[in-house]
Amino acid sequence: MKRLFPLVALLLAASPASAQKLEFNRDIRPILSDKCFACHGPDAKNAKSDYRLDTFEHAVAEIDGVAGIVPGKLKESELHWRIHSDDSSEVMPPPESKRNLTPAEIALLDRWIEEGAEFQDHWAFVPIPKTVPVPEVAPGWVKNEIDTFVLAKLEKKGFAPSPETTREKWLRRVTFDLTGLPPTLAEIDAFLADPSPGAYEKVVDRLLASEASAERLTAEWLDVARYSDSYGFQVDGDRFVWPWRDWVIRAFKENLPYDQFITWQLAGDLLPNATRDQKLATAFNRLHPQNVEGGSVPEEFRLEYISDRVHTYGTAFLGLTMECTRCHDHKYDPLTMRDYYGLSAFFANIDEAGLYSFFTPSVPTPTLWLPDEKQESEHARLTREIAELEGALAKRAVEAKADYETWLSARKEPATLPKALADHDFERLEDGTFPNLADPNKPAKTSPNNAQADGRRGKALKLTGDDAVTLGVGNFSRDDSFSVSLWMQTPDRKARAVVFSRSKAWTDAASRGYELLLEEGRLVAALVHYEPGNALRVRTKEEFPVGSWHHVAMTYDGSSRASGLRLFVDGEPAGLEVVRDRLTRGITGGGSDTIVIGERMRDSGFKHGLVDDFRVYDLTLSPAAVKTLASDGKTFVPDPAEFLARHDAASLDLQAKLAAKRKERSALVEKIPEIMVMEEFDGEPRKTHVLERGSYLSPGEEVAPATPAFLPAMPADAPVNRLGLARWTVSPDNPLTARVAVNRYWERLFLHGLVATAEDFGSQGRPPTHPDLLDWLARDFMDHGWDLRRLLKQIVLSATYRQSSNVASGELATIDPENTLLYRYPAPRLTAEMLRDNVLAVSGLLVPKVGGPSVKPYDIALSFKPSTPDKGEGLYRRSVYTYMRQTAPSPLMTTLNASKRDVCQVKIERTDSPLQGLVMLNSPQFAEAARVLGTKLAETHAADDAALVEEAFCRLTSRLPDEEERSLLVGLLAEQQAHYQEKPAEAEALLSNGGSAPSKSAHPARAAAAATLVSTLLNFDECISKR
Amino acid sequence: MNHCTGHLPAPSRREALTRFGGGLGGIALASLLGKAEAAGGSPPAYFTGQPKAKRVIFLFQSGGPSQMDLFDYKPRLNAEQGRELPEEIRMGQRLTGMSGNQSSLPLVGSPFQFAQHGESGQWFSELLPHTAKIADEITVVKSMYTEAINHGPGVTFMQTGAQIGGRPSIGSWLSYGLGSMNENLPNFVVLVTKDKKGQPLVSRLWGSGFLPGEHDGVRFNPDKDAVLYLNNPAGLDTASRRRMLDRLGELHRIQLAKSGDTALETRIAQYEMGFRMQASIPEATDFSGEPEATFKLYGEDARTPGTFAANCLMARRLAERGVQFIQLYHQGWDHHGGLPGGLKTQCRETDQASAALVTDLKQRGLLEDTLVIWGGEFGRTNYCQGKFNPANFGRDHHPRCFSMWMAGGGIKAGHSHGLTDDYCYNIVEDGVHVHDFHATLLHLLGIDHERLTFQYQGRHFRLTDVHGHLVKEILA
Repeated sequence: MKRLFPLVALLLAASPASAQKLEFNRDIRPILSDKCFACHGPDAKNAKSDYRLDTFEHAVAEIDGVAGIVPGKLKESELHWRIHSDDSSEVMPPPESKRNLTPAEIALLDRWIEEGAEFQDHWAFVPIPKTVPVPEVAPGWVKNEIDTFVLAKLEKKGFAPSPETTREKWLRRVTFDLTGLPPTLAEIDAFLADPSPGAYEKVVDRLLASEASAERLTAEWLDVARYSDSYGFQVDGDRFVWPWRDWVIRAFKENLPYDQFITWQLAGDLLPNATRDQKLATAFNRLHPQNVEGGSVPEEFRLEYISDRVHTYGTAFLGLTMECTRCHDHKYDPLTMRDYYGLSAFFANIDEAGLYSFFTPSVPTPTLWLPDEKQESEHARLTREIAELEGALAKRAVEAKADYETWLSARKEPATLPKALADHDFERLEDGTFPNLADPNKPAKTSPNNAQADGRRGKALKLTGDDAVTLGVGNFSRDDSFSVSLWMQTPDRKARAVVFSRSKAWTDAASRGYELLLEEGRLVAALVHYEPGNALRVRTKEEFPVGSWHHVAMTYDGSSRASGLRLFVDGEPAGLEVVRDRLTRGITGGGSDTIVIGERMRDSGFKHGLVDDFRVYDLTLSPAAVKTLASDGKTFVPDPAEFLARHDAASLDLQAKLAAKRKERSALVEKIPEIMVMEEFDGEPRKTHVLERGSYLSPGEEVAPATPAFLPAMPADAPVNRLGLARWTVSPDNPLTARVAVNRYWERLFLHGLVATAEDFGSQGRPPTHPDLLDWLARDFMDHGWDLRRLLKQIVLSATYRQSSNVASGELATIDPENTLLYRYPAPRLTAEMLRDNVLAVSGLLVPKVGGPSVKPYDIALSFKPSTPDKGEGLYRRSVYTYMRQTAPSPLMTTLNASKRDVCQVKIERTDSPLQGLVMLNSPQFAEAARVLGTKLAETHAADDAALVEEAFCRLTSRLPDEEERSLLVGLLAEQQAHYQEKPAEAEALLSNGGSAPSKSAHPARAAAAATLVSTLLNFDECISKR
Repeated sequence: MNHCTGHLPAPSRREALTRFGGGLGGIALASLLGKAEAAGGSPPAYFTGQPKAKRVIFLFQSGGPSQMDLFDYKPRLNAEQGRELPEEIRMGQRLTGMSGNQSSLPLVGSPFQFAQHGESGQWFSELLPHTAKIADEITVVKSMYTEAINHGPGVTFMQTGAQIGGRPSIGSWLSYGLGSMNENLPNFVVLVTKDKKGQPLVSRLWGSGFLPGEHDGVRFNPDKDAVLYLNNPAGLDTASRRRMLDRLGELHRIQLAKSGDTALETRIAQYEMGFRMQASIPEATDFSGEPEATFKLYGEDARTPGTFAANCLMARRLAERGVQFIQLYHQGWDHHGGLPGGLKTQCRETDQASAALVTDLKQRGLLEDTLVIWGGEFGRTNYCQGKFNPANFGRDHHPRCFSMWMAGGGIKAGHSHGLTDDYCYNIVEDGVHVHDFHATLLHLLGIDHERLTFQYQGRHFRLTDVHGHLVKEILA
């Protein structure tokens, strides 16, 4: 039976293989890979057979006295008999695999065995040769080395390249390819008028140096980087990542060498003395979708993010399909699960959460601050002043020793406990409230399910674990000093229980606020901006006793340091471990602004826990005061801390100044934007495990960071972290990175890559049409400092690129319908970005502003999750700036085949659909552009129809119409003008489409007619394709 | 189509099939096969040649309808109401973070009355009086199960066969596999009930993933433009548009002659199809010719554009006009709290119209080759979420069993499939995994789910991944 898509037959058709010896990589590997490797390939562990066909040694090995292949001896080769068998229990591939061999494939395999069954290493995994010889070809047509490879292959097949295209067409191609915009009339005229030999090069240099070129290169990189302005998944809230996009634009504008472009994005944060841009570049690894759906398991999604980084890394830089190896060894390529999780380990060690915060707009950690210059200097000043005040306070503490003694001896009365903000003894429960002995206006409210129980003395509070007791106080900032004192008893060793918190929720608010927990039996206190990466968290070394009453105090001094957060048990300072010591932003907000005892949203409550004598203070309790509370005392002998905190005038003055200064800094920090980036976690490195079947529930063997074993090893001196990975990736010994890069840019310019499967350089990918050219380009790219501009320039100046796009008639067209010989320029349709930018450019509506927040053109109002479009300039910016919401992208752009950006995409899709025509004829963006340009044309050419048509045609196709084209368009103009003369109201309506002021014209009927002419041409092949 | 191709080489078979691969502007399978044969090929290997259904209407109930309050009668839950979920039933299986940290998991029975209906004697709750009337037309699958426990992954799994987004949806696979039956309407249409609150839906659910973009679902809106920018801009009438397209066609034919590029033939055809859609879509979406009886059948809601009832009626009209896959979405089934009241509202919105659609298709002779599917992404827990209160409680997500019903297009009439335990927690007989459901759906359309593949990133992807078994027991 024949296959529907005879891939192999096509390859054969393109290469008269019958004349020459078969070539494994070209002729045989695709068959073995596709039809056999699933069971006889590299995934030995899961294969149903011991027999392997992925290397020569395996293929000729005898198993139970039978050899699969005996080179040169067809009749002795089991493989031969199996693929010819009529017996359904014997035939290979087995019928249930549903992967039949075609007769042509069977014949090829037989011939290959007869010819000696030679294997080749997979072309993409062998080193890129140090030098690639340039073929000798006849001079004349050739413009640079690229052409020699193309011509050599054409000549070998007995064909010639296509004639050179016109200057106008080349200029249009190259201008779109390098800038994403059409050439202006002035640029066309200038080029046509320049007879110098360097005219082409001059154009290319001009284009490559432009901002527009950086924007164009950025647009396609955003697809690779799965860039979007929202988090994705189901809720898909907005996220702040456009500064990364602007960095990409800067990088292309400065022609940052491509190896550095990769290195910065993978590991810029790890470069010595990393600059802000180098750190910013690493946001690349955080652009994957992120989840916030309530009730999701954070670890499941944290691992999903890491996987996305690995997949994106694999596809974008190595052209490897890593996805397969998440659950099992690769079926086609020599990649293992260990390789997958070894790569994962590079990307795992950041202090991140699996879910982002629903209740606060905080940016998921780790982050990079992006202050403007003024904010930066203000922040430095405040930090310095705070340090000075802290120094002064510490100095005063030392100096005050004598004053303390004097003060103490002069005192006649013992000290009393400070006044609390809240004081609950839980003795009385009235109408669901517990009175606050410190402030009757702020009682605590409880759900009726929580009960009173016999307490330490009198009554205590008994918690269900699902029901809250909500106090009237507790909205402290990180700059406030505060303390909480309570008696508590836990009935059992808690794996996790919230004793109290000032926090809306656990994962749903990234724990924003402060909290006291029992975790694995130990007390944990924390102040949190965003869990886990922006928090202070301390944990007692000892487990909290079970089944008995104990006094607990949590005190905090407003310093935003872990050392300022203390726990006391039974009046004594508890031995603490610091879990996190990085709190740089606020802890208020998110809702639930007062202390809640016993429960938190979607967290484990203090089930059957007992709480008594709960007191809240707006100061740091001194150890002496805590001790007093723990012994039910009322008065005590003040210790030095008590003296400094409450009685020493000099300290009090410094404390007040310090608090004010800290609040000033916090107010400033609030306004400094921050963005998700990569930053190695400085604590115990996060462990990575092989996950059985890819499931987060089944962690297996632990793995260290490692590059895939079948590829060259990491440089010996490279650190085993992302920086080492980056250095390995761009090492000249890496066989993939440069090949993948030059191929992707080739594809951008020629519709298809030299390797048609730009996303897969493995066994299942298509082999390169011009392997030597690919290697030459890759080597040349590396030898010249990974200079992307130079690469692009080489290609667009080649004779290959300058060919006509006309399809050949006769034999060539039959043999090579896909143009794998590169005998012509392929005439790809413009990308979605180019189509939209083109109408903005030709109409003059384009606002050429570079960078900044994403904008919302008209059609965002019609997306699946509509939002209000911008007014004014936001409607007319280049498409690279269009707001991209993952679950509801711009419908105009997706209709025109823009990438969906939920996963890394390296290929530009182009499929025609009638819906595209509707968009390009009817949408306000296109209709407005048509009437604006139409009006201009009608003003310039008030009487001369032919002149109007010529200018319109030239603006939209970069050439003049021929006689036939002109006359039919003049006909259209005349018909439409007559129509609008009869219907002036329609003309007026047409000239009002879009958001800009209606077009004013002395000749409205002519302007409207010209608008329909423009609209027609905006849909003409030569306007929407590069011919 | 264009007639100026005399001097051009015939497009290769591969080219022809790629171009006519289906979707918008594609051509019907029958024609596709004809083309393939004319070009010396055979029908695609995935085509079994025995389709029972020609089209599908999937009434997706987003949020997770409660199986034990609608279809799966469990008196034991009422008998043991208030008791803790027994550990031997739960077996340590994972719960969501919403109730997983709850200190108690009390069972709660259904507050609704159940009765048997029709000759088949199927059980339905009192909330589904209309569905009960089509008891003898449908198969109720009581033993559906999934792997996802939250909405995003769950809905994505049901619609694409994978929990993480990026794979093609069912309708896209069908469009890719079968081509279009219609030259005037999109092949895969999506109708979402307007203004429903609840767990959000996302557009990639009807996306084509890695398949060509032409296989994307096309959302019809109850607005002025049923399809994105369907109508001409202000000030442009049909005659002008016709003149423009005539001239455009002429320009393209000149270009075709000059360049020899047959892609231009497609381009010409696409613009013509777009023009036809400008007439055919308004015609298909205009209910003004529907008799009173229609609104009696579907309910008065059907008069209000964008309601579930109106979308059911729209689905019937599109099915009549040859649209192959019609995907409805109705949100609001996520009853973590207030379930008794919430379910009543949901059923009031969906019960009559869902049953009407089946009845209507049957009386028009369309049911026999139209597959109608009703169901959501997972079920709900037998224990109550939050505090136990029999009058007003909620249920959390439950992936281990849930119910769906199907009708027409090769499905048994008046049948119940699969069995859950007395607690409606685990399946005890004939479990139907989401992959099995997909395999069966494809089978009904004449497609072997193991052979309908698309190579992307080196791998032959399938709707059913490497899983899926045909559920023969529910086939007529």
